[in-house]
Amino acid sequence: MAAPLQAEAPTWTALAPALALVVTGLVLIVVDSIDPDDGSPALLAGVGTAGALASLGLAGWLLAGGTGQPDTGGAIALYGDALVVDGMTLFFQALFASVTALVVVASYDYLYDREYQAEFYSLVLFAATGMALMAAANSLSVAFVSLELASLPSYALVSYLKRDTGSVEAGLKYFLVGALSSAVFAFGISLVYAATGSLLLADVYETLAGGANGLTGVAGVGIVMVAGGFAFKTASVPFHFWAPEAYEGAPAPVSAFLSSASKAAGFALAFRVFVTGFPLGAGIDWVLLFQVLAVVTMTLGNFAAATQEEVKRMLAYSSIGHAGYALIGLAAFTTADGGNVLGASMAHLMVYGFMNTGAFLFVALAERWGIGRTFEDYAGLADRAPLACVAMTVFMFSLAGLPPFGGFFSKYFLFAGAVEAGFWWLAAVGAVNSALSLFYYSRVVKALWLEDATAEFELGPTPTALYAAVVFAAVATVLLLPGFGAVIETAQAAATAVLP
Amino acid sequence: MAGLFDYTPAVVLLPFLSFLIAVGVAISGRDLLPKGGAVPGIAATAGSFLLSVALAVAVAGGEVYNETVYAWAGGAVPGTEGLELTFGVLIDPLSALMLVIVTLVALLVHVFSLGYMNDEGETGLPRYYAGLGLFTASMLGFVVADNLLMAFVFFELVGLCSYLLIGFHFREPGPPSAAKKAFLVTRFGDYFFLVGVVAVLATFGTGQFAGPESFPVFAEEALHGEHAVNTFLGLGEETWFTVVGLLVLGGVIGKSAQFPLQTWLPDAMEGPTPVSALIHAATMVAAGVYLVARMYGFYAVSPTALGVIALVGGFTALFAGTMGIVKRELKQVLAYSTISQYGYMMLALGAGGYVAATFHLLTHAFFKALLFLGAGSVIIAMHHNENMWDMGGLKGRMPVTYYSFLAGSLALAGIFPFAGFWSKDEILYETLVHGLGGQPLLLVGYVFGLLAVPVTAFYTFRMVFLTFHGDARTEQASSPEPVGWNVKGPLAVLGVLAAGAGVVNLAPVRVLTGAHVDFLHGWLDAGFAELTVHHYEEIDPYSSAYIGGEATTVLVGAAVSLGLALLGLALAYKLYAVPTPTEHTAKLGSVRDLLYDNYYQDEYQVFLARRVVLPLARAADTFDRSVVDGAVDATSSVSLFSGSRIRRIQTGVVSNYAALLTLGLTVLLVLFGVLGGWLL
Repeated sequence: MAAPLQAEAPTWTALAPALALVVTGLVLIVVDSIDPDDGSPALLAGVGTAGALASLGLAGWLLAGGTGQPDTGGAIALYGDALVVDGMTLFFQALFASVTALVVVASYDYLYDREYQAEFYSLVLFAATGMALMAAANSLSVAFVSLELASLPSYALVSYLKRDTGSVEAGLKYFLVGALSSAVFAFGISLVYAATGSLLLADVYETLAGGANGLTGVAGVGIVMVAGGFAFKTASVPFHFWAPEAYEGAPAPVSAFLSSASKAAGFALAFRVFVTGFPLGAGIDWVLLFQVLAVVTMTLGNFAAATQEEVKRMLAYSSIGHAGYALIGLAAFTTADGGNVLGASMAHLMVYGFMNTGAFLFVALAERWGIGRTFEDYAGLADRAPLACVAMTVFMFSLAGLPPFGGFFSKYFLFAGAVEAGFWWLAAVGAVNSALSLFYYSRVVKALWLEDATAEFELGPTPTALYAAVVFAAVATVLLLPGFGAVIETAQAAATAVLP
Repeated sequence: MAGLFDYTPAVVLLPFLSFLIAVGVAISGRDLLPKGGAVPGIAATAGSFLLSVALAVAVAGGEVYNETVYAWAGGAVPGTEGLELTFGVLIDPLSALMLVIVTLVALLVHVFSLGYMNDEGETGLPRYYAGLGLFTASMLGFVVADNLLMAFVFFELVGLCSYLLIGFHFREPGPPSAAKKAFLVTRFGDYFFLVGVVAVLATFGTGQFAGPESFPVFAEEALHGEHAVNTFLGLGEETWFTVVGLLVLGGVIGKSAQFPLQTWLPDAMEGPTPVSALIHAATMVAAGVYLVARMYGFYAVSPTALGVIALVGGFTALFAGTMGIVKRELKQVLAYSTISQYGYMMLALGAGGYVAATFHLLTHAFFKALLFLGAGSVIIAMHHNENMWDMGGLKGRMPVTYYSFLAGSLALAGIFPFAGFWSKDEILYETLVHGLGGQPLLLVGYVFGLLAVPVTAFYTFRMVFLTFHGDARTEQASSPEPVGWNVKGPLAVLGVLAAGAGVVNLAPVRVLTGAHVDFLHGWLDAGFAELTVHHYEEIDPYSSAYIGGEATTVLVGAAVSLGLALLGLALAYKLYAVPTPTEHTAKLGSVRDLLYDNYYQDEYQVFLARRVVLPLARAADTFDRSVVDGAVDATSSVSLFSGSRIRRIQTGVVSNYAALLTLGLTVLLVLFGVLGGWLL
């Protein structure tokens, strides 16, 4: 059998998913410079969607062809080992591309009649490029640069609604907390470099395993600070403060983008840096660190979500809670268990990417229709928009982890993985939190279906693209239940291949 | 006959198909089927009967069959072997015999229903035939079950169907209440059965009845130290097996209406009479005894369980018989006789008389079905008046019914040479010789059984004389409604069987002459080695002793029981075979009310339910509402309260965030610095 095309191509082509995103972003700028008045929003959204889908297609194609995976020669290292492409990279790039596509499609309606649409789309794609690079980062310097590349467009996107004080305030807060976090992260990297003399993860790993030149304390402080940088990106306690404000103030599609793709990107980077860069038991017990972060994050997120009055803010806290679940991937990591729980965490992020994006896009739909933000404002909406409400119900129950939706299996495998790795109490905390989460998720469902409307809805014309994105996300959430086998196998294989 | 056994599931599925057809018709609401759905039912049971006979012929040729049809759940508990839950088919001599009995009685009951239900213009016939079909299918599924869990599933279905059929006339006050009672009382026993099923699966890892990997075999090996099993509660193996056996026995006692759970059965007479025939002769009540016979290898290794079975059976035989002697209604007398006769079967099983019990199950199926159908015929003739004191003199006006009913009564009373004589005599004989062999407990059971003999003969012939002899006491009795062929046909078939079925196992004749005429013994001694009679005799704890030789014991035993039966018959003749009989119950004095009220058993059970169970349930409810709900509510209030506190951390002031963030990082740094040993 001839080798597949993916294996024959030059190695740089392995970066094609990221390149597709950056090229699309540049093309959008070119289009904008030709037609600065956003005369054809459909063209802009179309180009953005095409670019995101191309990236998704390339990632899927490379993943299917075995690029960077053990059976075709292992991970592909590029540019002096600064970047690496393997199963995990492609898995996350497919995830980012999917979310980006959904967000861009939904934004077409959300941005109706607004200025600077080309800038919006290109910023989304540049942020996505940053995320794609985060998934490929193999050195701490690339990690920092790509994280900033993802963050800086995000700050601008959050404050995209320039005349909306909430949006501007949220953007500013996000930026300030982000700046502080980046400072912590950069300082952490410098300390690790000081202790190990290298920024390449593999070298860092070897040096740390060999005793860190006697500078264990320096390396330990550095590692905690690096973890802080990731905690910011994944909205984990105590670096989470920006999240509720930013998600609430930002345009809802941006909230969807940040809470799904950006968070997953943080995890992609955290998984790689910690698993391949910092050996277990060298100076710091980072598994314990993530256990603390996971428990505190999921508990705080869920408890705070339970008392919110506004749906979007509830989703923001629920997103913090889910960061806590995903942290189990690192918190229950053991060498003996291998990539099982890590892969389960990746699979959970994949499912989460669809269900959480869908939930925020439903909020975008509600904002587009101009109905209020609180639970009461959503009451009785099912009479007017049954299809969208079915989709929202799917998202809510899937986020809570109920069958027959994708979120059930992803959470199940995650908790089961934790139990198998020996951290049953972690799974127990997760299960208790999930039970609590059912309370506030079902509040949305109850409002939509069971309660009577408090006022007449004046919904206006149906935003087709936004509607389509919501429904597609719902279909994907449901299909990920039967299709979960493939996802978890890919994820666990990719995670196992990453192990040093 | 290669491949015949592959059709075994059809025995079960054919009546199920007729059920589906009848349900379909009932749902359509139109009168699509001739005879209200009886025809598919008759065709299905006839097909099942023919197939069962073919299977029995194949089994007679030495073939047996034990196959798993479908595994519906499988899994493994870490550290143990996998456990699979399956449906399967086990055809051995016992189940083949039972299949023939059940399908034959079901077929005759279906035919009889034409006369009893259709010709009487009952409404809701599709529902009735749907119930009969499902009832038959459930029982057949239970009979062919190859493992305990499957048996339990069909056991429960049997219980459900009895509920549906007893309550067939649901618009009247009596039947729904009787149906509920039957359901609840048997369910009480089934609760223990279910625990027993789980215990068997947990102990042995399998519920299979037959094969080298079956739980009776494992139990036997475990007692010899050849196989490791899980026991619980810190009990030794034999004690634990006894506990498990008694748990399963709970279901048996409920379904087979043994003391103290027999109270549902007399009330169940509210159901249509053909249903009573089916329940008593071949399905529901027989299910309990059949279950013990099916897993007899498991009980045989536990002397305590056997002793309990024997005592419960013997006591029930006498106890229920005494209640039958004062009843005024025809079907009530039969109801108590059923309880009493199943008591005999249990006595036989407990006394090591596996063949005797199966034999009595067989003969009883025929003569009790006959008696019920005969009673049904009388009830048709009397326009649904069941009071025997309103009858009399029916002998000349319904001869077919009379002579067949007489044959059934002679069999029930145990008069030579009718079928009941042979089977009952064998039960008493087995109990006696095993009791003499050093088991005083069995001698107690024997005395119970022996005392029940004249009682049985008395109430049986009191019923016969009051119904058929003397002068007609009402107008209806003097000009009864004629019954058709569909009533007389089944009666004739069963009459012949009730008279002659004893020939299948003439054990006393064998003892006396040495001729091999105990065919049933030989039949049950074939098939799977671990399910044969001589295997059971090897492992059961009994030995035999005789009064002056085997032949003498046989003769003395038979003479005593026959003499007692004739005594009871003679007393009934003297009191009731007169032109205008009177009740004679006043002579019983204070015992009379005790018997009329069934020893106040309903009263004490209702008392238990009202004064013990209800307060307990109320207490549990209070606990649930206050403590459990309180804990849940408290959890949610605490959650919401802490949620609202956590919410306040989010002040909206970004400098606070920066401070908290830095603080948090510092805490982490200090914590892990100390833990990692590089700080301080």
